[in-house]
Amino acid sequence: MKHFTLKRGLAAAFLASSALMAPPALAQGSDTLVIARSMDVNSLDPARAFCDTCQFYLTAVYETLVTLGADNKTLVPNLATSWEMNDDLTEFTFHLKDATFADGSPVEAKDVVWSMERLKNLKGSPSFLVDDLVSAEEVDPKTVKFTLGASNSEFLNKISAAYTGVINSDVAKEHGALDGVDAAEKDSSEPWFLENSAGSGPFMLKSYSPEAELRMARNDAYYGDKAAFSEVVVTQIQDAVSQAQALETGQVDIAMQIDPDTAASIRSPDVKTEIVPSFNFVYMGFIPGAKGMKDVLTPEVRRALALAIDYEGMLDFTVGGNGAQQAAPIPNGFPGTENLVPRTYDLEKAKAMLADAGATDLKLVAGYPNDNVYGVDFNIMMQKVQQDFAKAGVELELKPLTWAVWRDELGAGEWPVTAVYYAPDYYGSAQYVQYFGMIDGYPWAKRASVGDFPLVVNPAEGPLYEQALRSSGADADAAYAKLGQQMMDDAIILPLVSPNLVLAYRDDIEGVRYSACCNLPLAEISRK
Amino acid sequence: MLAYILRRLISIPFLLLGVASVSFLLSQMTKGDPLAALVPERQMSNPEIVNAVKAQWGLDEPMPIRYVRYLGNLLQGDMGTSFSTRRPVALDIAERLPATLELVIAAMIIGTAMGLALGLLSARFRGTVIDSLARIFALLGSSLPVFWSGLILLYVLSVRFSIVPGTGRLPPRVDPPPDVTGFYTVDALLAGNFPLFLQALSHLALPAFVLGWAVTGIITRLVRSSLVEGLSLDYARTARAKGAPERVVLVRHALPNAMIPLLTILGFTFAYLITGAVLTEAIFSWPGIGSYAVRAAASLDYPAIGGVTIVGAVAFLLANLVTDIAYAWANPRIKVH
Repeated sequence: MKHFTLKRGLAAAFLASSALMAPPALAQGSDTLVIARSMDVNSLDPARAFCDTCQFYLTAVYETLVTLGADNKTLVPNLATSWEMNDDLTEFTFHLKDATFADGSPVEAKDVVWSMERLKNLKGSPSFLVDDLVSAEEVDPKTVKFTLGASNSEFLNKISAAYTGVINSDVAKEHGALDGVDAAEKDSSEPWFLENSAGSGPFMLKSYSPEAELRMARNDAYYGDKAAFSEVVVTQIQDAVSQAQALETGQVDIAMQIDPDTAASIRSPDVKTEIVPSFNFVYMGFIPGAKGMKDVLTPEVRRALALAIDYEGMLDFTVGGNGAQQAAPIPNGFPGTENLVPRTYDLEKAKAMLADAGATDLKLVAGYPNDNVYGVDFNIMMQKVQQDFAKAGVELELKPLTWAVWRDELGAGEWPVTAVYYAPDYYGSAQYVQYFGMIDGYPWAKRASVGDFPLVVNPAEGPLYEQALRSSGADADAAYAKLGQQMMDDAIILPLVSPNLVLAYRDDIEGVRYSACCNLPLAEISRK
Repeated sequence: MLAYILRRLISIPFLLLGVASVSFLLSQMTKGDPLAALVPERQMSNPEIVNAVKAQWGLDEPMPIRYVRYLGNLLQGDMGTSFSTRRPVALDIAERLPATLELVIAAMIIGTAMGLALGLLSARFRGTVIDSLARIFALLGSSLPVFWSGLILLYVLSVRFSIVPGTGRLPPRVDPPPDVTGFYTVDALLAGNFPLFLQALSHLALPAFVLGWAVTGIITRLVRSSLVEGLSLDYARTARAKGAPERVVLVRHALPNAMIPLLTILGFTFAYLITGAVLTEAIFSWPGIGSYAVRAAASLDYPAIGGVTIVGAVAFLLANLVTDIAYAWANPRIKVH
């Protein structure tokens, strides 16, 4: 009988462990592009989806009529080769190129009309992009005409958003997709879109497992330049540190959500990081309509509080200086922001203004999502606000909440201060006025006033917004600049940080860039 | 015994019905916006979108009607559609549960083996350096937060020294084996793909060790104290008097007695880890049921919360049943009625 000895035991342990020491599957030379990110997919149906992951998935699989150029400003042809519009910007006509869907059938005007009607009638999350669409008509198989209910100089920008991607209507209809006015109740195609795609883009959906993996296969029948990779895998890796580790080991080619601090800790010479300005921003919002605040959070008090925030210190505190200040709730670089001057920190003036307004012993509560977005930890950010307010003699109680509870309390005006974030859906400033403008019925006006609109409505903004939508070019920019200044004067929305974005990828990867409409254009990426 | 098992099995569906009802009512009463996962924040002020979504998901109906419908669907095996993934909850669970089971089973094997070995060493060499080292190792496992030990071990063993692969169940570039059991290691072997089996095993090793290490502490302490107590009892003295060496007294006489209280702990820990391995799953990007449960709770995804609660309840009920049976088998003095 053989007896156990230490030597035999060690040998057995070594043999067993050597089986586990499988080297990681390295990226180099692979025909598959692997991307690490924490996925936020809420749907893969263009008319229902609304998330950062959706933006680059839809861009890769479905194509829009126009798209945003690499300069993140210029609209360039995509499915449409050219377009024209009438003088009052209510009619837009597009001429389609000879494109084909992944199944080989041609992209025709009927598909464009059907996709836009469906986007509007399904009343999904991105339906606001076409809420002013009155009709979409097929002029001929290669020409489509849209009529809007009012002038809109940003209509072209809106339809560059990934959610307006054109769907193969014949295929989608076979699987329960509808475009009629009853689409919101009767469309049953969502499960199908989670397993299939029907676009004309350079990739097709291969498989999707929620919060685990999203696989796209190259559309080998693509009518244009074919994508460099035969497959793109988006793999779920929750946090920045784990994403960086996966990138360093070569397990992934691109890590999408690495913050500047984590980027600085990467030691591998095979990893390249670029820090670029983003169009995302994190902001604080005042809610004068909150319980007991109508006579307290007056415009004077809000402006005083805005002066009490140390914005430069906030940048250091939250993102280690890797970001930018932003003046109005319109991102830097968007129309109308060129000459807007960011707010400055003036504690003495803030104290004086608070005293003049009789706001002594002011006590406020800030309810905000307990979140970390774009590398900004909301708790740290609000602690900085708390410290700054304390210097001005204002007590701020912090109330971090889960997302669902925060939303529940937000509409009820439970607290007068909050903090949230915003990322653009397309390049254009109208989306910000439409959301942050203190205009009767608009989302943030409703939120800030808790339904008592006269409390916050700024009568100058409505006409200015109409003017911006009626004009284009420099005239529109001027109108948005005035709107930006008005929104600053409202002192309801205070942008705190526009964090930089880290593009982190293996050094054999090229073509990685950040797009304001589409996040990460996959078809432009290749391996050296 | 057979009658006892049958009685327990028959009671399970009724208990589950109660669990499902309590889970439904509690989640409905929880403060929060159930549309959080259905309507993005920017559209929550748009009444047209909000109303359309409420109607589509039946959230515009009174709670009693939703409750009756939920139970009716549940009795037909339909757990509803997740607000977040937009897929049937049963499908989500069927995809994720095998991943968690594979991880938890491996962790339990590692944790139990290490706990037994360390407990034996501690008891055998009580009061020596070996005893101290074994107890420190066990204590570290149960004291260190999994997110810390997981990240550090991942960094050292994967990033710095490439001893183990990275996160996930398989390298992202590799297709999983044909789905039979949902356990990648088993399915790879069933497919006759040994290299794939090794890849799946190497991906499983570190998360299973980290999770198993956390379990080791309690097992080590329990085994050590039971053995120390057992070694001072009459049967141990008798064995020694009959000339049995100390190793034999420990392994053949004291250890079987020490196993009895251990069974309870093992059963409970296994059931707990089914939904409680969330941190390990997050660190190692392991697409299991724990992370699904946390996401469901955070977003008030009612159908998913209900589904996960039922899975957790089934795990506890079955673990209790198996523990009771094992207890009776291990200790003939115990009778089950």
